[in-house]
Amino acid sequence: MHKLYKRHILGGIIIWLVCNLLLACHDMRFESAEELSAFVYNENNHYTQHKIINGVRFDLTYKPTDLMVSQQIGDTGSDTRIGQLRKQYGNHLYFTLKMSKNDQELLTSAVSNRVEFGEMVHQLSFEMQEKVQLTTSSKEAIAMTDFIYPRMYGLSKATSILFVFPRDSRVLEADYLNFTIADLGLMTGEVRFKLETAKLMKEPRLF
Amino acid sequence: MKMYKITLVFAVAGFMCGAMALLFTYNSSQQVYVDVNKLLDGYERTKVVRSEYESKAKTLQANVDSLLNAWQKEITTYEKERSAMSKKELELKQQLLSSQQRQISNYQQAIEQQLQEEDQKSTQTVINDINDYIKEFGERNGYRMIYGASGGGNIMYASDAADLTDEVLTGLNEAYLGQ
Repeated sequence: MHKLYKRHILGGIIIWLVCNLLLACHDMRFESAEELSAFVYNENNHYTQHKIINGVRFDLTYKPTDLMVSQQIGDTGSDTRIGQLRKQYGNHLYFTLKMSKNDQELLTSAVSNRVEFGEMVHQLSFEMQEKVQLTTSSKEAIAMTDFIYPRMYGLSKATSILFVFPRDSRVLEADYLNFTIADLGLMTGEVRFKLETAKLMKEPRLF
Repeated sequence: MKMYKITLVFAVAGFMCGAMALLFTYNSSQQVYVDVNKLLDGYERTKVVRSEYESKAKTLQANVDSLLNAWQKEITTYEKERSAMSKKELELKQQLLSSQQRQISNYQQAIEQQLQEEDQKSTQTVINDINDYIKEFGERNGYRMIYGASGGGNIMYASDAADLTDEVLTGLNEAYLGQ
């Protein structure tokens, strides 16, 4: 009786260990670009965060490599092509920052005259390299590679900017990263997003 | 004997789980607060932004002062020389001085507005930091709610045990100073 009982317990422990091991090794894989995108934009999965300060909404999304790949090829693409694109995008970190007020772009809702409009266009087009910073937990700054601000002329619900940073060893070794946005004249103060590196680096994959 | 050991292991594990659950429930049901004014005053970054603001304000005020001094000198010279001036010269000089006065006054107003905005931005930056840290602190320690007392009477009485200000302030400063 005792032996049987012992076996049951041992079996239970082994199953529990195997389940844990499987969960730990589990790769988040998605069959379609749509599923992957829905996963990334769900705040519970830690790739997207938002803050509302003084009526201005900030949404920051870390775009995993495969999301960038999927945006280029959609749901189709050979393994070779996917591999090539993964290599191409894998050397950098991509973040999308969306900023809006009253569900409208900043240029539509946050400026009240021509001068302010001109200043805001200039900031968004040319000054974001100085306004946005990515620093590691040990306060090392990661130099921005580039940023892209596409003008939407009021057709979008938010001002959206893509930021690119190098994926270097300092990023991978840091406990967390701070993505900070200086005040753009909207009285929001400096806005900071804390991103846990371990969670970010456990990237969801396509196919 | 072995059976007893296994039972003991399960009992200890159960006890630990229970204790942790109890601790979590205790934390989440506790009514706690932080003194916002104390946090603002004691936070290291407040001192940094305040000193940056004061230095900027000093520079801008010095600009205004030097413009005012130059204008006052012009007035003194005008007072001295006005008796020797023709009617047309007097008229032109008066127009020039009053136009300069208007310009200085506009500049002063613009500076005041700029300083007010700078002050608002830096205060908001500090408030953002405090809010972020309190959110993180609350989540980490399983608090359902943390009140913010600001001396305006929103918390009339709380025991010392409910006051998390010092603990939060220490963590906040450590996070800012990168310790």
